[in-house]
Amino acid sequence: MSAGGSGEAHAAIPQNQLIAFGIIGGLIGIYAAFFLSNVAGGVFSFMGALGAICATIWGAAAVRRVASYGLGTGVPSIGMLALGMGVVAAMFGLAVAEGFGLAIAGPLIALVVASIIGLLIGIFANKVLRMNIPVMEQSMTEIAASGTILIIGLSVAMTGTFLFDVVLEDVITTGYIAVIFIAGGMALLHPFNANLGPDEKQDRTLYNALEKGAIAMIIAGIVALSVQNASVGMVTVLIGIFLWYYGFTGFYARVKRDAFKVVGTGLLPSEEELE
Amino acid sequence: MDPLIGMGALALMGAAATIAGASEDLESDIGSQSNPNSQVQLAPQMSYPHRIYNKAISGEPPSNALMCTIGGTVAYVMLNFNVSVVLALTIGSLVAAMVHGTYATTAYMGRCSSQKRFKQMVYLDVLRSHTPPIMGYSFITTFTILVVSYIMVTVFAHPFPLPLLAFIWGITVGAIGSSTGDVHYGAEREFQDVEFGSGLNTANSGKIVRKAESGLRSSMDNSWFCAKFGGPVTGIAFGMTVFLSGWITTVFDPSKGPAAGWESVIAGALIILVMIIYNRKMEVSARKEFGPYKEDKEEAA
Amino acid sequence: MIDIAGLIAENIIYVLLITLGGVLVSVSVHFVPVGGAPAAMAQACGIGTGTVQLAAGAGLTGLVTAGAMMGVTDNIGLVLASGTVGGMIMIAVTMIVGNWVYFYGVGCPAASAKVKYDPITKDRQDLYISQGTEGHAIPTVSFVSGVIGAGLGGLGGGLVYYALLKIGEVASGLTVKDIMSTTGHELVGLASIFAVGIFFMNAVIPSYNIGGTIEGFHDPKFKRWPRAAITSLVVTFLCAILAVVTLGGM
Repeated sequence: MSAGGSGEAHAAIPQNQLIAFGIIGGLIGIYAAFFLSNVAGGVFSFMGALGAICATIWGAAAVRRVASYGLGTGVPSIGMLALGMGVVAAMFGLAVAEGFGLAIAGPLIALVVASIIGLLIGIFANKVLRMNIPVMEQSMTEIAASGTILIIGLSVAMTGTFLFDVVLEDVITTGYIAVIFIAGGMALLHPFNANLGPDEKQDRTLYNALEKGAIAMIIAGIVALSVQNASVGMVTVLIGIFLWYYGFTGFYARVKRDAFKVVGTGLLPSEEELE
Repeated sequence: MDPLIGMGALALMGAAATIAGASEDLESDIGSQSNPNSQVQLAPQMSYPHRIYNKAISGEPPSNALMCTIGGTVAYVMLNFNVSVVLALTIGSLVAAMVHGTYATTAYMGRCSSQKRFKQMVYLDVLRSHTPPIMGYSFITTFTILVVSYIMVTVFAHPFPLPLLAFIWGITVGAIGSSTGDVHYGAEREFQDVEFGSGLNTANSGKIVRKAESGLRSSMDNSWFCAKFGGPVTGIAFGMTVFLSGWITTVFDPSKGPAAGWESVIAGALIILVMIIYNRKMEVSARKEFGPYKEDKEEAA
Repeated sequence: MIDIAGLIAENIIYVLLITLGGVLVSVSVHFVPVGGAPAAMAQACGIGTGTVQLAAGAGLTGLVTAGAMMGVTDNIGLVLASGTVGGMIMIAVTMIVGNWVYFYGVGCPAASAKVKYDPITKDRQDLYISQGTEGHAIPTVSFVSGVIGAGLGGLGGGLVYYALLKIGEVASGLTVKDIMSTTGHELVGLASIFAVGIFFMNAVIPSYNIGGTIEGFHDPKFKRWPRAAITSLVVTFLCAILAVVTLGGM
């Protein structure tokens, strides 16, 4: 596990745009799925997964930004941390909102709470653990927040709603939360981890994030087959497969652009080529 | 529960776990994953471009947890539709293996193309020939982990839901695989050209073996080598973990009362004590067999 | 409507237990001898994997055994002891088999680079380090340290899970036995995923603290544990309050 280089990674798309994309896209997806849940038998619950994909892309960019400084241990740790924070914040947000009769505000509360936990861990990481990574506070906040949107988005894709009692019944009790946890966590950490190297490019990494987010969406669709009904599940799965295809071809096109050579087969580069 | 049925189910779990451990390790060797992969990653930088699969799917625990949880989730969905258990676990493992294949592919492509300046090529035939066996091994791992989790839920009435148990056992099998079998791949197979019987000299970092008996070495050759020792011992390790942690509560069933429960704890503590002593014996014998690497200068002076 | 202050006051003992569990997990990681990537090439002393992953593997094994135990009894001592033993068994087996590979597969004896003499067995270490490495395999001191660490991890994980279930028990007016007798009770799912989440956070924090590798309690890096413990204390306390409100408000 190489720990990444050191220093700020070059970013073609500024992080602020990705933050806006993740938060706005994520919340629009979640709320659209929620408000359209009564339309056409709930087929619009796939919107929740689209929101989750927006959050994935944002989170993967944040992981890329902080992990390129080198964490001292593998990139995966930060993905696990993100989802650890996310799951606590998401459940709290949804539960407390419902407890106060403001269920509609659940995702927003979760987002705020996650940001607070993330900021806290970020501050402690720099001040107490002395990691001294300049973007630590901001990135931890972003990672926790994106992890929370991811969890809520995928839960919405599975159940069609973010009402806590439904999520509790259909996602937590059944254990599907475990797949949200790991498929979401991997979607955040895998893109940068899989593209780690001196010639890593932001757009390639983010296409990879789209592709991995789409896989999480497909799995959420499979779960929706049983939690909701066959048509809802199939719609989510099919859109997920389409997005996966789009993400994969986009990723592969950038691999062909960025790689030294993409060859069908061949020997190692010759001595002259290595000079 | 009848103790004999419990013992039988436990034996089945142990056997399934042993297979899971072995296939987990070979799956990680064939794709070069986790810690030993740092050398494969470093090699092009040392002017050692290679044709080894660079499967950087995070650490092994999350990647195994991912496939086991996906398998468990799909299987659980199918069980809710009253599909037979064997079919449900099989389809679940199949979906998991396919997802794992996409993770492996993107990792290979991504890592290799991020090493453009070191002239590392992306070989599509490596992808085509190695990804199916990777998926095959991941299928076996997922299926056997699901068998373990399913038995725990149904026979032993474990309160955790199936996908969560599959997640936890996935993390554990990955943790065990990357701490045991991978060492055989990283410390021995990747550096088979240096003299046997020492750790990797830092000066040799990244200088991995790239040539085989015939032609260039592929990751397939590596899993062939590791199947002789690293894979099986990983199987033993995971099988033992699952078996022993279940054995103590099956023999001394805590549902019969706190006394039996405490007996199970004592039995576990005794097992651990035996292992500490056994490890010490092994350490002493290894020190005696291999001897020190350098002379004791203080005594010589 | 949830009375947050009331809930916290009512469950303050469980908040403290969860916090204690989180800190225990955090401290436990410092005991587990992980050499990270170099150890996988027999280039450094310790287990050849990442800190987070190994701690998670051991701690979650402990959580599974503690969960199983809690299914049949609500004796807190028994639940915690079985979590401890579960984690210890996992790591002891892993280290034994790891040493098989180092001794018989790679052919190098166990040696630590951080101390000249093994503090437990008084064996000379520096002569057994092969050239260009920082030690290899798992000497007795690291082995014992690892067993202690996994035990603390399993104990911490079990403690968090136990406290979470107890909060739910108070809130729902059921006893743990009732909860367990209905298969797939929502409290089990919520408590277990919360425990996993809190566990992961507390496994990552110390691994950043030690920079990914440590040999055990004899390693100079071990002295850094208070930093991770303070961080975990604050973070877990916050999470514990969130958990109380979530579970208690059900």
